[in-house]
Amino acid sequence: MSVLKRVQQWATFARVWHIYDATWQNPFASAELIKKYLMGLYKPIYHPMNDCGDHVIVINSAEIALPGDEWTKRVYFHHTGYPGGATWTLAWELHTKDPKMILYKAVYRGMKGNLQRRHTMQRLHIFPDANVPAHLLGNVSNQIKQLRPIPKRLDHMDPEVVKNSPKIFDYPKDYIVR
Amino acid sequence: MNFSINLLKYINFNQNFRFLTLSSSLKIKEIKEIQQGKDLIIYGEELPSPREPFLLKNKYPNKCPVCASGLNIKHTDVLILSQFVRSDGCMLPKRITGLCNKQQKIIGNLVTMAQKAGLMSNLAPHWSKKDPKKRYQWKKFNKYFDESTIKNYN
Repeated sequence: MSVLKRVQQWATFARVWHIYDATWQNPFASAELIKKYLMGLYKPIYHPMNDCGDHVIVINSAEIALPGDEWTKRVYFHHTGYPGGATWTLAWELHTKDPKMILYKAVYRGMKGNLQRRHTMQRLHIFPDANVPAHLLGNVSNQIKQLRPIPKRLDHMDPEVVKNSPKIFDYPKDYIVR
Repeated sequence: MNFSINLLKYINFNQNFRFLTLSSSLKIKEIKEIQQGKDLIIYGEELPSPREPFLLKNKYPNKCPVCASGLNIKHTDVLILSQFVRSDGCMLPKRITGLCNKQQKIIGNLVTMAQKAGLMSNLAPHWSKKDPKKRYQWKKFNKYFDESTIKNYN
């Protein structure tokens, strides 16, 4: 085997490590994106029986954003198996208890329920903040693009930029600014 | 006691004086005093609006400013939306913004969305929690909105 072919072989079958910043991202839309990398769906050699999935590190999972009033409307169901053991937990309650859980469940539910799913999930590394252990971060070679731009807060903007931005209308002459 | 009674009298019977002090602090007019011999002339000079140099040109005079601008405003465009609110986050009325019925309603909805998402937390009543991260229960978590849920939005 030539040197070139050998390197091609490594590059094809090596597990790539991706990083994804979940700040202000919808976890359910992100799950579809992360799933593609976790299962290796984007690879030309993909086959369900071919173990070609990658690792994905998700950072800032505590900073995910849900649309509208979904924090209070989305409910997570759990049953202990005993009579009266059913619990319904709202998304915001679950997120308060464990800021990694909503994203984990979103990716888990985004994949087909087969025997491979548990093993694929082992390659997903979720962190509630940006503190990733160095031995994991050293493997990363790709960043997954965010789905939504992170909105900028008015109080984090430069006051000079706010003052000099184009204005749509002017106050009437007798208006008292307050 | 004596002083407070005097002050009350002053407020009741000297409305002109009160008016002048209030307007000077609000900075829409500048109070100028000119001494001409024995006469002291006090008058309010109108100050130029700070928005004047940055104003968009309205190409269609019969349209409202937002319709004329042709912008597709989202709830994350806080530089635009903050122009339509007071310092306490209250939406300005239509007679001041000069918008048409439709746009006034839409901008009002967008402002609400931006406030709920915590993007304009510095424009809020003095007693409110300015940091969205310190809000109560679910309100402290990030949320975004779909503008197509607004009635008549484009």
